[in-house]
Parts: sequence; structure tokens; C-alpha cells
Amino acid sequence: MTTVPATIPVALSTRRRVARRVLRNPLAVLGLVVVCVAMLAALLADFVAPFASDQVNFAEPLRPPSGTHIFGTDSLGRDQFSRAIFGLRASVAVGLLSVVLSLAVGVPFGLLAGFYGWLDPLVSRFTDTLLAFPFLVLAVGLAAILGPSLFTAVIAIGIAQIPRVVRVTRGETLRLRHMDFVAAAVAGGANDFVLLRRHILPNAINALIVQATVAVPGAIIGEAVLSFLGLGVRPPIPSLGIMLADAQADVQDGPWMAVFPGVTIVILTLALNLLGDGLRDALDPRESRS
Amino acid sequence: MGRYVLRRLLESAVTLILATIVVFLGIRALPGDPARTLAGEEGDNPAVIAAIRQSYGLDQPLPVQYVRYVQKAVTGDLGRSPRTGLPVAETIGHALPVTLQLAAFAMMVAILIGIGAGVIAAVRRRRPAEWGANAVALIGLSVPNFWFGQMVILGLAIAYPILPASGFVSIFENPVESFRHLLMPAVVLGSGLAAVIMRQTRSAMLDALTADYVRTARAKGLSGGQVIFGHALRNSLIVVITIVGLELGALISGAVVTEQLFVLPGFGKLTIDAVFTRDYPMIQGVVLVTASAYILINLAVDLLYSVIDPRIRVGGRAL
Repeated sequence: MTTVPATIPVALSTRRRVARRVLRNPLAVLGLVVVCVAMLAALLADFVAPFASDQVNFAEPLRPPSGTHIFGTDSLGRDQFSRAIFGLRASVAVGLLSVVLSLAVGVPFGLLAGFYGWLDPLVSRFTDTLLAFPFLVLAVGLAAILGPSLFTAVIAIGIAQIPRVVRVTRGETLRLRHMDFVAAAVAGGANDFVLLRRHILPNAINALIVQATVAVPGAIIGEAVLSFLGLGVRPPIPSLGIMLADAQADVQDGPWMAVFPGVTIVILTLALNLLGDGLRDALDPRESRS
Repeated sequence: MGRYVLRRLLESAVTLILATIVVFLGIRALPGDPARTLAGEEGDNPAVIAAIRQSYGLDQPLPVQYVRYVQKAVTGDLGRSPRTGLPVAETIGHALPVTLQLAAFAMMVAILIGIGAGVIAAVRRRRPAEWGANAVALIGLSVPNFWFGQMVILGLAIAYPILPASGFVSIFENPVESFRHLLMPAVVLGSGLAAVIMRQTRSAMLDALTADYVRTARAKGLSGGQVIFGHALRNSLIVVITIVGLELGALISGAVVTEQLFVLPGFGKLTIDAVFTRDYPMIQGVVLVTASAYILINLAVDLLYSVIDPRIRVGGRAL
């Protein structure tokens, strides 16, 4: 039992080194700052947003951007800036929940497929079957069954990401199970569950983090697409995708309605991608793109 | 070679069967009477319900229903849309050429831009051209294509009306008008794929340019262009085939959005419209056709890949 405390400081110092490497990368820091600001804005939308997301004002319909309405207003006179801030909630919620869902399903399957060779073909058929349905076709089927909602968006995006999580986890497990420290743990009497939970999974975390940094921005765009098509979040819940769908009707008279929600999505996903690239470089110096 | 092909064929067959089971059970996962669900907006008409129950054999046990469903699907009978009264297969058949023309055009755009930018970024290493190409690729990956589409419409159809914002003309009827109508949708659909192809081409080219055979070619006195295009790029092209296979799903998803945005009467628009009209036989048909096509194309790409790169079939499963 003396080995357990011995491993923790090592893990901590590795984590600190990774953090230091990320903080030395200016683009990654920029991404981190933008992501933190967006998360805070989404969380504190009630206090940050100048107007309520559903506050209709027929006196000021389709106003171009100005001092009071920096993103302009829509045909109902709703403040687009406030709606965008509230809309970030749906983006962040779907982005995180769908990735959590894909990890919760994908990691166990990946571990089992990598560890027990006989399970591998079964898991492969399972992921192949999921892969046979392109993301939007899957979402369409689910929206038909479950009805369009934030929940449907989470399920559809989460399921679509499962195969990638399975593949990454499986690959890591295959790589790790023949390593000396795993053999040592077996010699120490560890059973399969302990091997997977304490020795293989913690060492596969880095690869999974890298996978998640790609998945979260993808999921945020996925939410916007589904809500835009009417398959995801439904009004009155504000969403950047719904704002862009509303903009379609007034594209002649209020082009700003189509511009700002999109710019918000792009800045958020760009920031996440920059942060993700920085994390990837910090976690895996061999893969450094410089 | 034979064994590899056989195994991939078997795997694809199993996946195809599993996919049909998922599609078959999906409609039965709906709460309530499946006959009523299949009737859609006609769900309150007892005559329609009775006809559906009889034609779908809903009084039979599930496995019997499944076999009947597959038998019919194989012969091209995907049921009838309760909304339009037309056979589902016929409606899909009308929509498919639109999507195929759009996808082919988008693929051409993506390959031209992606490979071009990738080669420039690899050859002009650590110079503004590389940074420019990298920045464009990063933005390409961060911009949702439906919003890119909205911006392009805003710019080229509304602010400066150069191109039509919507509608479809077949290339076989009027090639010029077809090009004008499909140019914006194809660029929008192809842009995301172009970014992926660019990144992969760049890294494959960078690997190839430092490889021994390229140094040999240079030592023989071949010109820079001959080395880049004749040797390095040729070996990097295998990447494009892989990407096309991997990104096919993204292309299909993108087509759904693009068609909705540009009001093209294709497969994607059919799909979305079916959801909103609760046209379940249509949704079932669309999902089944897409999944089958996707599995078959992936199989084709894998087999093609193994023909081009012998390491795949010797080394076993490619990850």
C-alpha cells in the first residue's frame, strides 16, 4: 500500500508541468481566457446581460447595432446581445453534457475491447453500426423518436462521438496492457478491474483529454446546427442556432441578426480549438506541430 | 488480399444487418401504436390505420415483421408516404440526383483547395504563405458551415446579387445555370472538407519531403516542381482517399444543412421536411438508404485503399 502515495506527487508535478507549458503558449492562453469569459457569461447571464432574453420591445424592431443594443435587435425588438449571452448556456450545456455522455459509454467499451481480445470484434461491430449513421441522419432519427429538444441534441451529439472515444480508449488500452508496470500489477495480484481502473485508465487520460478538446467545439457547432434546423433546442430557450434560424426570415432587413450569433459561435469554437491545440502540444510534446 | 476482402465484406454485411435492425426497431421505439405513428397526420383515420396494419403486417411477431421489412426493402419497396401518397423509394429517387451533384461539386472544390493549400503550406515552410494557409484551415474548422453559408448568401446574393440564393438546375439540363446555382452551396459544403484535406496533405507532404526517395530524386537533378508534384504529392494523395472515406458522413450531414439553407430539393431537405411532417415511413427510408450507402461506400474506400497501399492488407486492420 506504500505505492499509492508515491504515485500521487508524480501525477501532480506532471499536471503542473502541463499547465506551465499551456500558459507559456500565448495562443492557448488567449483561448483559455475567451473560454473562461464565455463560461462565466453563460453562468451569470442573468446578471451580465443588459436585457432579459425574451424581453419583447415592439417600439424598437430590427434596430441595427447601437450603443444600447450592441448586436442590434430582432423583428420582435429583442436585444440580440442579451439573447446571445443566454444562448451560450445551451452551447456550453450541450457541449459538455454530450462529451460526458460519449465518455461514459465509450470509455468502458474501449477498455473492454482493448483488454479482452474476444470482445474486440463485438465492440467493433457496435461502433461500426453507430458509424453507419452520419451525425445529422442520426439526429434526424432521434428527433423523430424523441422530439426536438436540448436533451435530443445531447443524445445525438453524444452518440455520434462514441465511436471515436471507443477507438482512442481501445488503442491506449492495447498499448498499455503489455507494459511492464501492468505486468508488475498482475504479479502483485491485481484483478482485471483493478488493472483497468487504477493502472490503464489513468494512463489513457491524456489521450482522452486530447480527444475531448476536439469533441467540445464540435459539439457546440453540432448544437447550433441542430437548433438551426429545428431538431435541437426549441424556443423559448435561447440558442445561437435558433437566433441564426430566426435571422433567415429577416436577412434583407436585419443582416446583423445573421452576423453576430455566428461570430459568437466562431470566437467560442476558435478559442476552444486554440486551447485544445495548446493542451495537445503540452500533453504530448512529440506531436508538437512546430 | 482475398482474405482481407472477404473479411471486410463479411464485416460490412454484419454492420448492414445491424443497421437495418436499428432502423426497424427505431420506429417501434416510439410510444403508442406503431400503425398510428406510421400514419402520421392521418393517425385518426381508422381506414388508414387498418390499411397500414395490414400492409406492414403489424399483427405478426417482431422477427417475422423484420424479415418482411428487409425483403421489401431489398426489392426497393420502402413503403408509402402517408403525407404525399407516393412510394418512399420514388421520392428518394427524385431527390438523390440533386444531392449527388451537390456532393460531387463540393468534393471537387474541397480537393482543389485542400490539396493546393496543403502543398503550398508544406513547400513554403515557416513563411507567411504557410501561416496564412494554416490560419485559413483553423478558421475553416471553427466556422460552422451553415453560418458560412448565411454569410455567403448575405454577400453574394443580397448585398451584391451576383449568384442566385436558392433553387436547383440540373447539370444535364443547363450546365451554366446549374453551375451558377450550385457554386455557392458547393463552396459552403466543401469548405470544411477542404480544411481537413489541407491539414492532412500538409503533414503528409512534410513527411514525404524529408524522405530518402525525395532526396534521391533531388540528387538525380530533378527540378523542384518535378520532385514536389511527381514524387512527394503523388505519395501524399493516398491521404485524400482516406479523408474522403472518413469525412463522407460529415459530407452527408453537411449536405442536409446546405440544402436546407439554399432550398435545394435534395435528400437533406427531404429528410428535414419528413421530421416536421412526422412522415415516419419517409424518415425510415431515408435513414436506411443513407446508412446502407454509407456502409457500402466505406467498404469501397477500404478496398480501394488496400489496392493502393499493400501495407494495409498485410498489416491487418488499419486504425
